[in-house]
Amino acid sequence: MDATFSRLTMTAASAMLLLALVVLWRRHVSAYITAFRTQSVVLAFVGGVVAWYGHVPELFFVSVVILILKGWIVPWVLSGMETRRHSARELHPLVNTETSLLVCGALAVAAYEISRPLAEVMNLATRGGLPVALALIFVSLFIVVSRREAIAQIVGFLMLENGIALLALLGAYGVPLVVEMGVFLDVLLGVLVMQAVVYHIYETSAD
Amino acid sequence: MRDTVVIAAQTLLLAVLAPAVVGYVRFAKARLQGRRGAGVLQPYRELRKTFGKGMVIAESASWIFHVAPFAILGATLAAASLAPVVSAVQPADVLGDLFVLTALLMLGTFFLALGGLDPGTAFGGMGSSREMTVAALTEPTLAIAILTLALTTGSTSLGVIAGSVLKTPAYAVGPGHAMAFTAFLIAMIAETGRLPVDNPSTHLELTMIHEAMILEYSGPYLALIEWAASIRLALLLTLAANLFLPWGLAASLAPSALAAGFVAILVKLGVLGLLLALLETRVAKLRLFRVPELLALSFTLALLAAASSFFTR
Amino acid sequence: MTLSLLFDSMIAAFALGAVAAIVLPPGAVMRRVALAAAAAGSAAALLLGASVLRAGATWTGRWENLLQPLGGVSLRLDSLGAFFLVIVGFTGVPASLYAIGYLRNLDGHLRGRATHALFNVFLASMCLVPCADNAGTFLFAWEVMALSSYLLVVSDPEQQDASSAGLWYAVMTHAGFLALLAAFVILGQGGSWEFVALRNAAAALTPAARTLVFLLMAAAFGSKAGLVPLHVWLPRAHPAAPSHVSALMSAAMVNLGIYGLARVVFDLLPPGPPWWGGLLLAAGVVTALTGVLYSVAETHLKRVLAYSTVENVGLVFIGLGFALLMRGYGYGPLASMGLVAALLHTLNHAAFKSLLFLAAGSVVHGTRSASMEAFGGLIKRMPATALLSLVGALALAGLPPLNGFPSEWLTFQLLVAGAQHTAPALAILLPLALAGVALVAGLAAVSGVRLFGITFLALPRSDGARDAHEASAIMIAAMAIPAVTCIALGVAPTLVLPQLSRIVSDLGQPAGPLSAGFALSVPLVGSRLWPGAIALLVVTAGLAAAVAVRLAGRVRQVRVGPAWNCGRIAQSPRSEYTAAAFAEPLKRVFTGFYRPTQEVTVEVHPASRYFVRAIRLRADLAPWMEQILYEPLLRAAQAASDRMRRIHSGSIHFYLALLPGALLVLLIVARWIR
Repeated sequence: MDATFSRLTMTAASAMLLLALVVLWRRHVSAYITAFRTQSVVLAFVGGVVAWYGHVPELFFVSVVILILKGWIVPWVLSGMETRRHSARELHPLVNTETSLLVCGALAVAAYEISRPLAEVMNLATRGGLPVALALIFVSLFIVVSRREAIAQIVGFLMLENGIALLALLGAYGVPLVVEMGVFLDVLLGVLVMQAVVYHIYETSAD
Repeated sequence: MRDTVVIAAQTLLLAVLAPAVVGYVRFAKARLQGRRGAGVLQPYRELRKTFGKGMVIAESASWIFHVAPFAILGATLAAASLAPVVSAVQPADVLGDLFVLTALLMLGTFFLALGGLDPGTAFGGMGSSREMTVAALTEPTLAIAILTLALTTGSTSLGVIAGSVLKTPAYAVGPGHAMAFTAFLIAMIAETGRLPVDNPSTHLELTMIHEAMILEYSGPYLALIEWAASIRLALLLTLAANLFLPWGLAASLAPSALAAGFVAILVKLGVLGLLLALLETRVAKLRLFRVPELLALSFTLALLAAASSFFTR
Repeated sequence: MTLSLLFDSMIAAFALGAVAAIVLPPGAVMRRVALAAAAAGSAAALLLGASVLRAGATWTGRWENLLQPLGGVSLRLDSLGAFFLVIVGFTGVPASLYAIGYLRNLDGHLRGRATHALFNVFLASMCLVPCADNAGTFLFAWEVMALSSYLLVVSDPEQQDASSAGLWYAVMTHAGFLALLAAFVILGQGGSWEFVALRNAAAALTPAARTLVFLLMAAAFGSKAGLVPLHVWLPRAHPAAPSHVSALMSAAMVNLGIYGLARVVFDLLPPGPPWWGGLLLAAGVVTALTGVLYSVAETHLKRVLAYSTVENVGLVFIGLGFALLMRGYGYGPLASMGLVAALLHTLNHAAFKSLLFLAAGSVVHGTRSASMEAFGGLIKRMPATALLSLVGALALAGLPPLNGFPSEWLTFQLLVAGAQHTAPALAILLPLALAGVALVAGLAAVSGVRLFGITFLALPRSDGARDAHEASAIMIAAMAIPAVTCIALGVAPTLVLPQLSRIVSDLGQPAGPLSAGFALSVPLVGSRLWPGAIALLVVTAGLAAAVAVRLAGRVRQVRVGPAWNCGRIAQSPRSEYTAAAFAEPLKRVFTGFYRPTQEVTVEVHPASRYFVRAIRLRADLAPWMEQILYEPLLRAAQAASDRMRRIHSGSIHFYLALLPGALLVLLIVARWIR
């Protein structure tokens, strides 16, 4: 039972990390939005698995909210922002693709080494996915830092949120419901604010 | 003595099966694209026909041009002799391991590139330059994929890897293994010149890598080179199947186990070939200067796989 | 007794060669005598080293009265020194024989005297370095080696940048000499400078002092060997020297840098912390990558080979660093295997690099040009050189069945075996090193294809290539010696393994089993390599195909005609791929490393700017390592010396006052030390 739990969460966490790599590899914003949407769905799946095996019923509710909010509403808002951008240009980041991917490999290795002492002390079944969550956080931070366009940075920030949520799920079987709701409200508000600001940027500059 | 027979038999099996693999992939691609397709055995007919044709040798070519096809075929067959095709009991393990196999494939590429440069045409030089670049950039991915396999199974010898995943299926389940498999597949696509790295059926010279190097070859030389290319594809598909998903491999040299192994490899080649055909129908060829990005992605995947296998030990 | 005889005959032969070069009238006889003596001396060195290795005996010699201020001449040849003596000897023989044909144009010139005499002196000093048993003898031989090679580098007046190359070389080698001196002073505080005494003194040093000695020695020997970023003299000096000297410099002299470091780290100093090994390993990976990336992009033939030397030195340092790292962590068998891999690669590199430099000399001699952009089609004009170069290029590419492959394979296996341990530093460092070595191996193959393909294949790109003449018979015979060695070491590397294991066990490391019959085997990773069988497989399969083609074909038409070239009617050498073009995709991938610069000049007709007369493109690789690391140093040195110039005030009273002032200071200091 434990082994299945552990394998499921680890595979899902790895899938989330790989989806973050998609943002570094592809150059079209629609690919970024799809990657984020898929990542959120997988995160909801992880929430459901933890809720089932870890016997934390409130996480079911959290997973559903993740699915609706991050899997549906936020990508819809992002697509709206993207269509208003009026350009289907490829994006050219600050750091080129090969270097970005190599940096991510190095960040992942670093995350494994950094979380090694922590994972040895933990005795939860999900400790195998901890380094992956940490790596996802590092990679998302790198995305925010190394992209030029605002919308790519927003996607990176949202993936960072996903990474932190994953870390909370795997490391402590989720945080109390109140905190989760607060975070969701934060995310929703943040996205709406960013949408307004970005719209303003697009209106005032030609970008 | 028995070992030599086993090694020779597996090599010959792979060599004989190889054109069928290529034919199958072409046939699947054709059907997926709504065409009828030429039949799975078409490459055999093509090889026989090309073998019997006359040759035109360029005036500017030297003896390298004549030696290259044989060197390529020799290196590819030597590499094929190391692979576990139907049996996990590999006497060829005393000859070499995965690193030797990679180096032998590079030897074949070396002579292919020289054969492209020899006649002194612009396209030959272009093909050689691009092929060597892609080959050099796939090396780190292959090395880290081999490291991942070695970390889980404790050895770099092909028979031992296949046998140990066979014995302990738990090795093969997990994201690290899946990532290493994907990285290996991407490296395989680059090494064998399939889409999206190179289009094996293109006639536009500027989109060629492999075809550009063999433009001047004709007759039996061309047949040998095409055959070697198909052996390379079959070899790498066999490796992908038998190193990462070795179920069905014979665990002993009993005839029944070997027969089961034979059926298993046919099934696996069929599935992988279909996957390859699906991929080729779905994606377009990448610009040459985007190929290093794809290879960097495969390297990162391999590195992640190695890191995760460190952790699960 | 025989060993002393061999040593004496070695020295006598070199002395005879040097004296003959000075005394005899300049001409063919003098050339033959001087160079034959050099060859004989090298052969004696080879025999001496091989005998010591075979018999396992150590040879010592001591002359108190020579070099008395430096503590007398003290010589000791143990297995480690004998191995490097063998390398010097077996690169010296082909280089000397080659020079008999190569330097024919120096007959009758005074410059010929100096060149042949210095060549003998250079070889003699290189033979003395591995034998030295006290710091004085070592430093003396080291300095003679540096001076004689400097003079040989600047000896060719036809080379435009010979003097600047010589300057870089002289400054860097003397900076290394100072570092060595400082390290020996720290070690030799006990009084005696004999290596025996230094060993005991080193054990009594504090760890901080030992680290300082290690760093100084690593910098000095690393600079001689070509470790990045101290390698910058190598791609300047090696191309400027005459080809047989370049062969010796690349194949013997840089190996003496490796000898020095091995002697210090494995013999003189007691075992140190693991980070020493980690530092050398990381430096080795960076060196190998830098060397191979530049060797793929350069278009000057000898500079390509010089950077390839840097790459291979990096690979050797990876083995050395790995050995130190493993020893620091207490994994003895892995450490000894790392040392064996490093030594094996040193031997292999010496073989194929001397072959390639000699072949490059033939090509440059035959075509009167040194740039790869001027070559092409030489396989038809210089068939023997081409065949031998193919052997060299395959070895450089590290492909089976030649000798570049077994040592590279062994390095791979060791990195995988080491990565199986769970020490955290190893878990990060070793996989990255493995990826680096794999990339180096791939790029070395690119370099090998480019080197051979652009130089020898296709159509001639210049008149020099069109009218090229083959090298003389003795030059070809000289090149054949390392070629045969390359093939032998590639097919049967286990021939030298017992000697290498003895060296390692003499240094105090237990040697693990590395060979099983004719195959290399690494039991820790369960892998084997049987190069002979692989070679047999490749050749048999190729021959079988050839036989099948010949038998199965009926009378088949084989025509020779113009190349198909996709329907182009005229084939011109202008449309071929050039050396720079071949490397273009890689230059694009690694733009951040190469920092390429491009300058396009368009010349228009004076009457109207729409008529373009000529377009010139100049593409260069920015020498950013010199710009970032060396130019600030040079500018600081320049500023300092400008300020010092003010001492030359011109006043005679000041100059007069300097003498008694210095005397006074010295007396006071001497009184103080008392």
